[in-house]
Amino acid sequence: MAPKKGGGAPKQRNAAEEVEETLQAVVLADTFETRFEPFTLDKPRCLLPLANTPLIEYTFEFLANAGVEEVFLYGGAHSDQLEKYINASKWRASSSPFKQLTFLKSTSTSVGDVMRDLDGKHVITGDFIVLSGDVISNMPIEGALATHRARREADKNAIMTMVLREAGRNHRTKSSSVSPVFVVDPTKDRCLHYEEIDHHAEHSEHGARLNIDTEIIAEHSEIDIRQDLIDCSIDICTPDVLSLWSDSFDYQAPRKQFLFGVLKDYELNGKTIHTYIIKDHYAARARNLKAYDAISKDVISRWTYPLCPDTNLLPGHTYELRKSNLYQEQNVTLARSCIVGRRVVIGQGTSIGEKTTVKNTVLGRNCKIGKNVTLDGAYIWENVVIGDNTIVNQAIVADGAVVGNQCKVESGALLSYGVKIADGITIGEGIRITKSPKEDDEAAPESDPAVVGAGGEGYEFTRDEDSDDEEDDASETSSGLVYNMANLSLSTESISTLSSETSDFAGSRAGSYGTSVSEEEKEDHFVQDAAVSVYDSLRDEVTSDVVQLELVSLRMTANASDNQVRRAVVSAFMKRIGNLMDESQKSASQAVRDIFGTYREIVERSLFDRETAAKPDQVDLLVLLQQDLVTWPKGDTVLLFTAKELYDLELIEEEAYEQWWDDERSSGTEDMRKVRAQTQQFVDWLANAEEEDSDEEEEESDDE
Amino acid sequence: MPSTSLALTPGLASFLKSLKTNQIDTSIDNLISLLKRRQIRHSRSCATATAYLLLRVISACRTTDAVKLIERVQSVGRRLVAAQPREMVVGNIVRRVLGLIRDEAEDDREADFNLSEAGSESQPQTPRVPDDASDVPSTRLDGSTARTSLTSMFSLLSHPEPEPSLPGTPSSASPSGRVPGPSKDIRAEVMEGINEIIDELGQVDDQISAYALDHIHSNEIILTHTSSTTVQKFLLKAAAKRRFTVIIAESFPNNHEATHSTVSGASANDEETLSTESFQKPLIAMGITVILIPDSAVFALMSRVNKVILGTHSVLANGGLVAAAGTRVIARAAKVHQTPVVVVSGVYKLSPVYPFDFESLIEYGDASKVIGYEDGDLVDQIDVQNPLYDYVPAELVDLYITNLGGHAPSYLYRIVSDHYRKEDIHF
Repeated sequence: MAPKKGGGAPKQRNAAEEVEETLQAVVLADTFETRFEPFTLDKPRCLLPLANTPLIEYTFEFLANAGVEEVFLYGGAHSDQLEKYINASKWRASSSPFKQLTFLKSTSTSVGDVMRDLDGKHVITGDFIVLSGDVISNMPIEGALATHRARREADKNAIMTMVLREAGRNHRTKSSSVSPVFVVDPTKDRCLHYEEIDHHAEHSEHGARLNIDTEIIAEHSEIDIRQDLIDCSIDICTPDVLSLWSDSFDYQAPRKQFLFGVLKDYELNGKTIHTYIIKDHYAARARNLKAYDAISKDVISRWTYPLCPDTNLLPGHTYELRKSNLYQEQNVTLARSCIVGRRVVIGQGTSIGEKTTVKNTVLGRNCKIGKNVTLDGAYIWENVVIGDNTIVNQAIVADGAVVGNQCKVESGALLSYGVKIADGITIGEGIRITKSPKEDDEAAPESDPAVVGAGGEGYEFTRDEDSDDEEDDASETSSGLVYNMANLSLSTESISTLSSETSDFAGSRAGSYGTSVSEEEKEDHFVQDAAVSVYDSLRDEVTSDVVQLELVSLRMTANASDNQVRRAVVSAFMKRIGNLMDESQKSASQAVRDIFGTYREIVERSLFDRETAAKPDQVDLLVLLQQDLVTWPKGDTVLLFTAKELYDLELIEEEAYEQWWDDERSSGTEDMRKVRAQTQQFVDWLANAEEEDSDEEEEESDDE
Repeated sequence: MPSTSLALTPGLASFLKSLKTNQIDTSIDNLISLLKRRQIRHSRSCATATAYLLLRVISACRTTDAVKLIERVQSVGRRLVAAQPREMVVGNIVRRVLGLIRDEAEDDREADFNLSEAGSESQPQTPRVPDDASDVPSTRLDGSTARTSLTSMFSLLSHPEPEPSLPGTPSSASPSGRVPGPSKDIRAEVMEGINEIIDELGQVDDQISAYALDHIHSNEIILTHTSSTTVQKFLLKAAAKRRFTVIIAESFPNNHEATHSTVSGASANDEETLSTESFQKPLIAMGITVILIPDSAVFALMSRVNKVILGTHSVLANGGLVAAAGTRVIARAAKVHQTPVVVVSGVYKLSPVYPFDFESLIEYGDASKVIGYEDGDLVDQIDVQNPLYDYVPAELVDLYITNLGGHAPSYLYRIVSDHYRKEDIHF
């Protein structure tokens, strides 16, 4: 990371100079949704292959076509993989059409966080395009851009233009479970109202109903209510949009919350959002597996021309178009008696056995398809082996998977990376099989012979919340935390890589003790806010992930130091413990164990000194605890229990206790000495028991 | 504001602009991606971009060795051709540049040879450098004899190298002015040659239109197709002197908008009409009757047509051509009615490729031009094929008019061998 940081800074300054000319784009590589599970457990979504080309390539092609010169790419889950890919790709080469391609890592857990992070960086200099890393479009953007600019010239409040594709009533590329409804004033192309209608009406209490404000009808002589639009989530924004995101802290989803909210608050802020509806050219977004399927078909049927396989977007691809939409690379081995039907893509090094029938299928590179196999509507990625006499219908088989002989993979089945299916097994409809570890428990789960057969590898993947039919997966944009949670736990980032590596603007993170007065005020403000927020969460018994998430967001907004985070955590925790003891009449030890046990992770994530000999963070935590408990009636007891609990939970090590005990802050005043008096016995005990403990470091080390 | 946003879109103009400032490898990759994305797509734009790029490649090449220069140009050329194999003009330009380098290298060697032979006037043809390929002198001689036997216009354009360098007049090569030894820089001459190719690309339409009056007579009815600027200029030239009627088939769905605007004279906003064309008067302004018809009406009208004039995408060595979709139908209809078919094309579009597999030459375009994408049911259930080009076999064409004059399709192989060296055909 370090060298990139150095390289990024001067470029950004350059960009600031030529404000007027460069067109900037923000690509959200992670859209904080879980539609592509289980594949996204192993790979970022935008690297999933669509017609054997990673999704992100299509997006970048679109941007290159649009003449975008600066791109900010936000990685979410698996951002290391994405970064590696981008660095090796042609977009980083000197010939890249982008003058600048900045990869931003962030621990953001929603689009809203990304926007707020972006706002904090002040890198956006003018109008910019926001789109997700799975957009496929051959649309020239000039028209939209020109109208947007003209409109903004005339009216400063026209902050955003959404690009929408008209698509008729029924369309395979439209989401079938949830459809966005746009209420548009056609005379001004202004979007007046937005709502998402859930087609699974029985789930929601008020059914599929659209609520339009009467004022909208009263004020506008003409309105269109449109449900026939594909929302390809290409937005042209002015910098004002970022500040709006920042102002409304709770917005997370760009449509369901941001768009809806801004339109609703029109009276308040006067901002207008406009639409640009295209009637020709292609624009769509691989938002879920259904869309993935539809877009694959569109690409193969050349609706996306020139973004077709035979354009060979990736260097090294050698696709050629044959009759009836057969795209074939060089070095493909086809048995004499095999039948390759319409709409097929076959990658290099793939071999197809005798009497095999293939149609409507994408085959990646180096696949081995056995004899007498039937593939229809299947998406087979790279290095897949499919045994003889097997049937695969409308399923996705990811890299390195092995399907045995005489198997049947029914429609909607998803076989993730490296899954092995034994001979003679039938994979039922819509079953998802993966090998990668579940989110919460560390160890890779056992293979499930009932699903993959004896000798197979993998287990059935289920989501806790929405385990309904995946192909048609419900709920449009992330319904808040459900999705964010998944991404949070997927992300391998620890909190220590907060906000973004490339940020030169975020200032120094650690060690901001000696700050100016105004900043101190800000700090206090943060501590207060964070403490209240954490306390509320504790009281509502929200899970620790959520609390963590909130804390991170707060912290990023305020650019708070570690010390402040700890202070906030300590005060919230202690308040809650006191609360528990008072209200529920719990004993001090019980209350302490409850709180720290459940929310261990939060404390853990505020400590960063496990590897070092000196333990300033842990000592700091203890001192803060001590300070907090000074005023309490039974503060000394609580401190003892807390100290013990923290030790039991392996949050604080023996050395830290020693250092704390010796620290002058902890014994500075009379009160402080009094409150820690009871803990004396614990510290003494620790000192005696110290020799025995030696394995602690090892266990701790895997947490970083 | 809109003006800046228009300038943003990459295309030929932005490529040529960036060529001056960018690194050479960057420019190569740049052109490759432009070709892949079809941001440069017309034959002439492709040819111009390739020529300018090769000019840069050669000027940036830090070698004076002809063999290395050829290798460099070949490797660049291969990548360009691989990027968009259906734009055959790219390969044509590369081949011509390769030919230029070879010519210069040979002249150079010849001069050295003469010098080392101490001014002996002995036959320059026979004793070439021994490591040279045996067929090189023969093709060269073929070329030169063919050149001299043709019209003056031909020789003026077809070999841009200065006359004195021709074999047979070694005295005028002034060996005294040349630096002896293999290190002589031939790049200057090659670059000059490429500049002449670029000039040729600029003038080719005007040169072709010079033949217009020979082929278009008063009161004729001419049928044409698409909005090809070559054809338009050809007709305009004739319109200055003669009165005739033009029928234009609109070539739906890939080119009808451009055709409409050509007919009506409304300036189309595509990158092709950068220069003089956008200020050109349409045919109707010259008092010519222009009739725009749908493609389906071609056969019905063909019986009245005196002559069919077609533009083309590229011409193949056997006399066949690859042209906008719909051309074959027109040529076929003309054959049935025994109407002469004239193809106007610059020599730069003439490719030495034989169409063994003409299916592979045809590019398939955007399906949504044929049926609307918003029609979900149709999109889901049918396959839409939208070929951008047609292959027209040689027997359907009666005459080619190039900037060198009129040729029968069967004579094209000869022009091919004049313009491209045998060893460069499969570079």
